[in-house]
Amino acid sequence: MTLTASDLCKSYGQTRAVDGVSVVLLPGQVHAIVGENGAGKSTTLRMLAGAERPDSGVMTLDGARYAPSSVIGAAALGVSLVYQEITINRSLSVAENIFIDRLRRFAGRLGLIDRRRMESAAQAILERIGAQISVSADTSRLNLGELKCIEIARALSTDPKILLLDESTAYLDHREVQAVLGVVNELKAQGMTVAFVSHHLDEVLAVADGLTILKDGRYVGTYRTAEIEPNEIHRRMVGRDLAKGIYPSRLAEDPSKPTRGPVVFEARNVAVGRELNGVSLDVHAGEILGLAGLKGAGAEALFAAICGDLPLGHGTMRLADVQFAPTSPTDAWRQGVAHLPGDRQNEGLIAEFSVLDNLVMVRPPRHGPFFDRPGAIAIAGDLVTQIGIKTQSIDASCRSLSGGNLQKVVIGKCLAVQPRLLLLNNPTRGVDIGARTEIYRIIRQKAAEGLAVILSSEDMPELIGMSDRLLVLRQGHVTHRIETAADATEHDIIGHMA
Amino acid sequence: MTSSTSGEKIRSSSSFELLKRAFPLAMLVLLVVIFSLSSPRFLTFGNLLIVLQQGTVLLVAALGMTFVIMAGSIDLSVGSIVALAALVTALTADRLGAAAIIPAIAVGAVAGSINGVLLAKGKVPSFIATMGAMVVYRGIVLLFTRGAPVSIEDEQFLNTYTERTLGIPNSVIIGLVLVVLAYVIINRTVFGREVRAIGGGERVAILTGIQVARVKISMYVLLGALCGIAGLLQGARAMAATAQLGEGLELDVIAAVVVGGTPLTGGVGSVVGTMLGVLIITLLSNGMNMTGVDPYLQNIVKGTVLVCAVFVTIDRKKIGIIK
Repeated sequence: MTLTASDLCKSYGQTRAVDGVSVVLLPGQVHAIVGENGAGKSTTLRMLAGAERPDSGVMTLDGARYAPSSVIGAAALGVSLVYQEITINRSLSVAENIFIDRLRRFAGRLGLIDRRRMESAAQAILERIGAQISVSADTSRLNLGELKCIEIARALSTDPKILLLDESTAYLDHREVQAVLGVVNELKAQGMTVAFVSHHLDEVLAVADGLTILKDGRYVGTYRTAEIEPNEIHRRMVGRDLAKGIYPSRLAEDPSKPTRGPVVFEARNVAVGRELNGVSLDVHAGEILGLAGLKGAGAEALFAAICGDLPLGHGTMRLADVQFAPTSPTDAWRQGVAHLPGDRQNEGLIAEFSVLDNLVMVRPPRHGPFFDRPGAIAIAGDLVTQIGIKTQSIDASCRSLSGGNLQKVVIGKCLAVQPRLLLLNNPTRGVDIGARTEIYRIIRQKAAEGLAVILSSEDMPELIGMSDRLLVLRQGHVTHRIETAADATEHDIIGHMA
Repeated sequence: MTSSTSGEKIRSSSSFELLKRAFPLAMLVLLVVIFSLSSPRFLTFGNLLIVLQQGTVLLVAALGMTFVIMAGSIDLSVGSIVALAALVTALTADRLGAAAIIPAIAVGAVAGSINGVLLAKGKVPSFIATMGAMVVYRGIVLLFTRGAPVSIEDEQFLNTYTERTLGIPNSVIIGLVLVVLAYVIINRTVFGREVRAIGGGERVAILTGIQVARVKISMYVLLGALCGIAGLLQGARAMAATAQLGEGLELDVIAAVVVGGTPLTGGVGSVVGTMLGVLIITLLSNGMNMTGVDPYLQNIVKGTVLVCAVFVTIDRKKIGIIK
């Protein structure tokens, strides 16, 4: 089957996520959609899969008009989607997960599920993709790569002609990625059309026949993988030479700025839970320390310990030369540690509340037991101007704000209490390029004013562009220390991550 | 700062919000109109005072429940705490007179703090913790009274809580003072904002450094203390504490708060709404009695009104998944 899409557009509020994108998927070929974070890759794929409706544009399937109203509608026409997030229910069996939406198909006598028939059907699909997973495996013990293969098996169980994979390897480690790419190759050999979204060029070059480049929601071009150099792909994805433009200059690069100050925070041999096993690091005032690592490599556990959310298992921490062992987030904030969580919606802010309510949530200005509203208005107004939060008013609900502005509110909430140490967990996840640039500017500006920052990010260019120094974490240990982040390469970092 | 399109959106959604917020008031007006058309005795000063008096116990407990529901929790033990407080009042009124309010508040606060600690420190879901507490507190009352009423005879006590000042029953005055107090706490204090933040997103509140456990225990103590006052007022009205006093009150209290527009999912809460909810529930009973609605039909009407009110006022967009 041939799936074509031309001139697709999709906006969320004021944000144009996708603006005039065209894609052609040819039978039996693997096609990649690539671009930076926020380039519109996932949105494009989700429109192809019926998960989102385009505002305008035309899609055809084998020449006939194609406008699926849902993923179920698309699946019925032979187009199946694998979501970016893992959607496996770990209390169900492998086979139940694969057929979760069609269990009725296996109803036997008395309407009970014919488990044997369902399991053999599941086994057949798993064998087809060459996945080494037994249908009787305990779902709760499988790793993320295996779960991803089950997701792919689920998508294949509707017998699609076209399979769409949304950043299927985003949360996987190196070995798990290889397993998934193996499945893609296997399917390609069987004549399946596969389209996938990725921001890892290595993966793309390993399996794709063709690729479409997007940048800031716009269509850049479609190329045959064999005909384009990796450097050229990268240049077209970023649109300028190596994306340096969006990152403010660092300490060492700007002679007018003072050099870094004294050590603000240090950790010695710190262990937390089972994730972090003995890490030592220090951060100076005025410096941004980058942490690279796969999910679960230890950065989140380290942050949880510093912000008082998890107890320190082992080791010592010092904040401004004083022993530091926060007993709760309240304690950590009180001592000057601000934390921007990675999950904006569930941990960063309360979307139903107003901009003002969120901005002064940590330490509301007060007169005795009473909330000092004029004081809060002054603080919030100041933050809105300083950070450039675009909102109708400080009393507007955060639900009316775009992703980038929401993240600016969370940053404002952190800065409102004038912290000594700022922990940033993926501060620009799902943030468009404009807001990103502003977020980078404010972070660097605060660092220049003496704030110590630890930045953990899955976005490699961001880590390299923003950090002064970089640490690479793997399985709870520091595997690599880079003293001058500006000289680091993605390749070098990834090599120590996986 | 932003373009006019998003401004339009905000304005139209807020007028929709306004419609929803006005719903409890509209319902109250509708009830008053219906009942005054069906019975000439309904819309009289005397009857309205009776309504207020009847509603005070419910009101006082519902004010406390507004905090708990606003934080996304629940308390099923309020009726039992009211009974416990009434018993303590009856046992101490002879010696303390009007000052029996002190032990009444104290026993309520202690009972509430046990609920709060079970939830915040023991991590027992509030529905279960307070369901257990409901049975236990009621059990204590039964064990102590063996089912027999304990009468209150102290003149000074009864005068203080049942007489009128300037024509208005003292109990109603106490209720109104507590309304103002609850309004100020919810809207003007940091504590009120913290309760709201816990209901709006508990994980956010924890990571923001709000002392969630302390706030939760405090709000249960507040609810318990208010139930203590409610128990005292109920005892004073009945001139006795009985083992059955306040039975089923928890359902009326929760209904009043929810009908008043405070959703069970938390994050939002309104004292004025709760007051309207209490009036609606009390008026409904009073009006149906006045107009001679079959007593066996009354529960059906009450339940239907509750579900209708929630059907209209609930914000489904905010909740997402409705369990």
